[in-house]
Amino acid sequence: MKNYFKCLYNWIDERVQLEDLVKFMGKKYVPVHRHSIWYYFGGVSLFFFIIQVTTGILLLFYYKGSSDLAFESVQFIMSKVQFGWLVRSIHAWAANLFILSAFVHMFSVYFEKAYRKPREMTWITGMLMFFMCLGFGFSGYLLPWNTLSFFATKVGTDIAGNVPIIGGPLKVFIRGGDDVTGATLSRLFGFHVALFPGIFTILLGIHLILIQRQGISEPVHFSEKPASEKKTMPFFPNFLLRDLLLWLIVLNVLAILAVFLPADLGIKANPFASAPAGIKPEWYFLFMFQSLKYFPSHILFADGETVGILLFGAAGVLWLLIPFWDRKSSRGEQNRFVNYLGLFAVIFIIILTFLGWLS
Amino acid sequence: MDNVQGKPDLKNRRDFLKYLLSAGVLGFAASVIYPVLSYLKPPKQSEVEVTSVSAGKLSDFPKDSGKIIRFGNKPVLVVYSADGNLHALSAECTHLGCTVQFRKDLDLIWCACHNGKYDLNGRNISGPPPRPLTPFKVIVKAGEIFISKMA
Amino acid sequence: MKKKIIILTLFFFSALLFGQKKNEASSDQCFICHESVGSTEADLYKKDIHFSKGISCADCHGGNSQTDDMDKAMSKAAGYKGVPKGNAITQSCIRCHANPAMMKKYGSKIPTNQYANLKNSVHGRLAINGSEMIVQCITCHNAHGIVAVDNPASPVYPTNIPATCGKCHSDPVFMRAYNPALPVDQVQKYRTSVHGIRNAKGDPKPAQCVSCHGSHDILSVKDPRARVYPTNIPSTCSHCHSNAEYMKQYKIPTDQFANYSKSVHGIALLQKHDISAPACNSCHGNHGATPPGIESISEVCGTCHALNAELFSSSPHKKAFDERKLPECTTCHSNHLIITATNKLLGVSQDAVCSKCHKPNDPSKGYMVAKEMKQMIDSLDSSEKNDSALVHEAEQKGMEVGDALFKLRDAHQARLESRTMVHSFNEAKFNETVNKGLKVTTEVKTEAEAAIHEYYFRRIGLGISVLIISFLALLLYLYIRRLERK
Repeated sequence: MKNYFKCLYNWIDERVQLEDLVKFMGKKYVPVHRHSIWYYFGGVSLFFFIIQVTTGILLLFYYKGSSDLAFESVQFIMSKVQFGWLVRSIHAWAANLFILSAFVHMFSVYFEKAYRKPREMTWITGMLMFFMCLGFGFSGYLLPWNTLSFFATKVGTDIAGNVPIIGGPLKVFIRGGDDVTGATLSRLFGFHVALFPGIFTILLGIHLILIQRQGISEPVHFSEKPASEKKTMPFFPNFLLRDLLLWLIVLNVLAILAVFLPADLGIKANPFASAPAGIKPEWYFLFMFQSLKYFPSHILFADGETVGILLFGAAGVLWLLIPFWDRKSSRGEQNRFVNYLGLFAVIFIIILTFLGWLS
Repeated sequence: MDNVQGKPDLKNRRDFLKYLLSAGVLGFAASVIYPVLSYLKPPKQSEVEVTSVSAGKLSDFPKDSGKIIRFGNKPVLVVYSADGNLHALSAECTHLGCTVQFRKDLDLIWCACHNGKYDLNGRNISGPPPRPLTPFKVIVKAGEIFISKMA
Repeated sequence: MKKKIIILTLFFFSALLFGQKKNEASSDQCFICHESVGSTEADLYKKDIHFSKGISCADCHGGNSQTDDMDKAMSKAAGYKGVPKGNAITQSCIRCHANPAMMKKYGSKIPTNQYANLKNSVHGRLAINGSEMIVQCITCHNAHGIVAVDNPASPVYPTNIPATCGKCHSDPVFMRAYNPALPVDQVQKYRTSVHGIRNAKGDPKPAQCVSCHGSHDILSVKDPRARVYPTNIPSTCSHCHSNAEYMKQYKIPTDQFANYSKSVHGIALLQKHDISAPACNSCHGNHGATPPGIESISEVCGTCHALNAELFSSSPHKKAFDERKLPECTTCHSNHLIITATNKLLGVSQDAVCSKCHKPNDPSKGYMVAKEMKQMIDSLDSSEKNDSALVHEAEQKGMEVGDALFKLRDAHQARLESRTMVHSFNEAKFNETVNKGLKVTTEVKTEAEAAIHEYYFRRIGLGISVLIISFLALLLYLYIRRLERK
């Protein structure tokens, strides 16, 4: 048995020099310190992405992206296809956990200042992938075509329509018309299964190559230590195996969630019905949705919601470009302002999500 | 940490661990691949919506009789009339949704609940039904009768 | 005092006016001459309302009425037309009757839209000769000797209308040319109706042809604007029958329309516009409108509710109702206010109809049977509801319950059939139907419960795979530890 593997390995090695890759990975080290745990969330996010792609492809075999069949086909997957309920529930749960782990990954990188020179590009690609995750969530939510998702999409695209200047055309572009209809479904379906995964894969490729190329970032306090005191662990196999171990645990959690709290189906969307009370977006949009509610209807001469959207847009750009304005960290100095800003963001998001959840 | 005596023991244990590990990987692979393969197996009803169903062989269908077949979750009444015409109509009475039947003695379609009557084209001709029965398309292909929704 | 003076003055002036007009008319040379030769037209015209208003022969026939020279008077040069033919008849009438200013000049208050209405009515269509309307003014109003509508001598006075309309509508040969499918027995039927009998006795108030069909504006029954289109019939009848003042002398209730509107039939017809639902005439007849007799009620209701009527007629109740002179269907279901029958009607509780006759100390089995039937139908009802809830729960859990859903239809059917079967008032027959339904509900319940059970069974599969994954994770952990201890 072992010899067969060896043979196969040698066969490939002769042709693509696997030995070099193993040596390269073996030389890579992961710093070990009290914040090492956060290194795993990138890997966990990657694992969720793999799960989403796999289950997504499986769902695609039976799903039909048209307004008269979407709901029925999801119902069909849930009841007629063997393990269809499991595949759909895992897809739904993994989507939520994916975004959660992406949030954690993002904030850990932020607080460790891992975005500082020379890793600006890794941060930018990561942030773009994060925005794309939200896009995945938004577009995927409509696909079962049930009442809740229909009206959430309506409200969501309405908010997008409030962006100054480009808002109107943007709304029409997302909706594929003036209103949320079957055309919107086709469009978001296209985004969800073709456009977004394509772009995401390219970004992910760049992101991973950069990490392999530049190695794992060391936090400021760690890099200041003398070389003899730096504790490390080989990336291969030690770190990778730990990653795998965590993936298995995550898979278990996912399976338990999918069986005990399966994704429900709701009632088929009826575009002519009146909106049910208390339509809320998915939890990861809740903090924005909730804070927009607190804006007064008019601020000076502008519409309150528009101002809110502009503020969120500005905050997003600021956040995206942090490696370029946080010069202190790049020089290896402490930047307390960045820490406080991050802390404020975390607290803001948690409190408003909570408030939105309560209302 | 490791003494000389422990070494062969350790080696053994490691091999055992590796052995178990490969078994575990196999078990894991099985528990993933089984659901995926079952998922990929086409279900009995291979499409989301029923578009056509077979109503059996024409040769097994005596003239001047009717039978109820299942079309998705709805019943459809297929009538082979005495003059050799095939009619397929929704078997749900338009009054209160009972299942209608073909009455050979009356040569019409009859609902047992409130004596609603329809002609063989589904037109409500007597009793409480407010609307005609919805017609379905009948196609005979290679001696087999197929019922499908009207386009 | 003041009033008296005004009336007297008015009287004086009108007498003056009248006298003057009479003079004018008597100077009508056409009339003088034609009267002297004993013409019937001139004789009739003496009684004509137009004659009294001073309208001369020449106003319709043309010519010069001022000269007694026949050649001059009836010359083409003087505009003499002779006897108007076809549409020219109506044209000469509407010169005044469609002209409000002209009518006002003669002090008339009658409407001026008759011609417009007639033109759009069924009678305004072209006659078989292709050149004129089917009906001209004179077809109903006569040509000479026209009197006011409220004058009993008028052919359009209420008691004369049936005969006037019947001139054509009771003539099969004439009617065949226009509408061969239209019956010609309306007047005959009308004479048997309550309306027709009173009308024949000279009472102008009961409905006659125009009360329901309209006069100048008669439309086909198939025209949704027609007063006799099914959905309009209840309001047409209620025009008189809901008018307590108008109906006072006949001593019949006036709440039929109000009750009917709330009934299952009224809702179907008036709100859902289901024209197969019965309107007033479906039970009472239209031309022969009369309340159905006690014995015939089940036949009347049975035209639609055939099965119920048939079952009732062969039930023990038939004899019992006949002996007690109880009207059949309406004793339990009411007449105009028939609401959707529910299971509440059955049984021995306060609001159940059975208990109206069947008391606990009933010598017959009635009380017991009613009680049992009610229990049976209630149990079928509740098991169908439970099943439906179970099946939908299983469906929401993503289980395949198509078969159970399909079978549930049979339970629904058995429930409806058993409701019909109540009318046999035969316990054995009724129980057979209910048991058929109960058998189905038991099967559906088993299937739905199996599906729900299957849903929870999935957790065992989960348990196994969680165990495998956890085992693998544990091994991996041991392996990492070993690796790092080295």
